[in-house]
Order: sequence, then C-alpha cells, then structure tokens
Amino acid sequence: MEKETDAQLSSQQLGAQTAVLRIGGEVDLYNTPQLKEQILALIESGVRRLVVDLAETQYLDSTALGALIGGLKRLRERGGELRLAGPRPRIRKLLEITRLLKVFEVRDSVPQALEDWDAQGGKG
Amino acid sequence: MTTATASSRIELKIPSRPEFISVARLAVAAVAHRMGFHYDDIEDLKVATGEALTNAIRHAQTAGRENDDHIVIICAMEPGALVIEVRDTGSGFDPELRRQALEQEELQEGGLGLLLIESLMDKVDFKTRPGKGTLVRMVKRLSGF
Repeated sequence: MEKETDAQLSSQQLGAQTAVLRIGGEVDLYNTPQLKEQILALIESGVRRLVVDLAETQYLDSTALGALIGGLKRLRERGGELRLAGPRPRIRKLLEITRLLKVFEVRDSVPQALEDWDAQGGKG
Repeated sequence: MTTATASSRIELKIPSRPEFISVARLAVAAVAHRMGFHYDDIEDLKVATGEALTNAIRHAQTAGRENDDHIVIICAMEPGALVIEVRDTGSGFDPELRRQALEQEELQEGGLGLLLIESLMDKVDFKTRPGKGTLVRMVKRLSGF
C-alpha cells in the first residue's frame, strides 16, 4: 500500500502492525499538519511499530520534530515504538542539538530499523 | 524583495502565514551564498531563520491576527558577518518563559526552535514585550573572521 501527499510523504505497511513512513524534501510549519495526520492515521489503522525513513529528508523544523515526538509518545502509550532511519548529517545535527538522539532510537537504514522487529515477529 | 541600501541591506516583508516561510529561507540562503558562506553555515542560517519565522507566525496566531499581519526579515551584510532580523507585530512573550523553555529536560516544540536558533547562530538577541511584538536579531560570522 503506497500513499502520496503534497508534503512528499509516503507510507508502506509491512504487516498489520509495522509500517515505514518516508519523508522526502522539506517539512516545516506549512506541511507539518500533513505529517501529523499521516502518523495518526497509521496508528489508528493499528500500526504499533513505525519506522520513519529520513534518508531523503532535506529539512525538518521544530514543528516536524514535535510531530515525530508526538507520534513516539502515542505509540509508546499503546505499547509500540517509533524509530528513525538513515538521517543525513544535517538532520542528525538537528537531532543532536535538540537532544532527541537520546529520545529516539536512530538506525542507519530502514532494514536495520526493522531488523529486531522482524525477529520478534514484527511483520505480523 | 527590496534593496534598502545599495549593497548591504536587504528587506523582505512576508504575510504572517506558514506557506511563506520557505520563501524567506531561500532568500536568506541566497544572500549567505553571495557572501561566501559555506554549505553548512548556509543550512544553519536557513534553520535559524525558519525557526524565528515559525515563532513569529505562532505569535500572530496567538494574537488572532494571522490573516492580516506581516513579518519583516532584514538581512544586513556586514563585514565578516550576516545579521538577520525578524520582526513581528504579534503578541510578544515573557522572556522568562524563554529561559524556562530552554531549561526543560524534555523540550516542547517552542523550546526546540529556540534551542536551534541559539545553537546555530553566533549571537542572538530577543527584544520582546507582551502585546508589542518581537524582534529577533541573529548574527552568523563568516569563517575566518
């Protein structure tokens, strides 16, 4: 299942509870509402393990980071998890400054982010 | 965009709405590129400008004036430094709240933006009064100066 939005967001569901959300281009105050909606829709549909793929993300502002934090909190409340995958050095720098590297589990790639979930039956 | 003085000062006035943030970011990046800033420093300037504008738009929204307010962005090309001023006419904020936002262990969105501005710029000054709007003055020095 692949969905496209104006904010260059696309999600791919890998099973009942696992999904990858790709963020392309730039996300700021203008299109953060789309990011929030997409994360909420995935959680509403039953996703509990969400990988946010940042490999093609050029720019994230504080409101987009806030949306990711909101998604992480909602998932944890439901016994789930949100991981970040493949941030470019610029994005990693922002995560470091905002102390979010301590909040999110950050992996180098989507397959690495999915690795131990697969082992736990995360594809179900 | 208008050139206020021949070579050193560029002024941009945008509606206080989210869809114009990227326009201002690109303008600041173009000025910084022209001055010879390196890629990383240009990216820092784009982030800090974007965060200052996000705060300004939020202030206008708080004041219920997001539909008719404007934000003024001034880029002053000084010897060895780019000075960016972002001025809004929104609700202003209590400086004590800014200090508290930065000291919170778990940062909220507003705190994240302020932290990014403070971390990425060489010097930052806020002038704000509740009800009178906010001026953010940010300085980024060219490496070697």
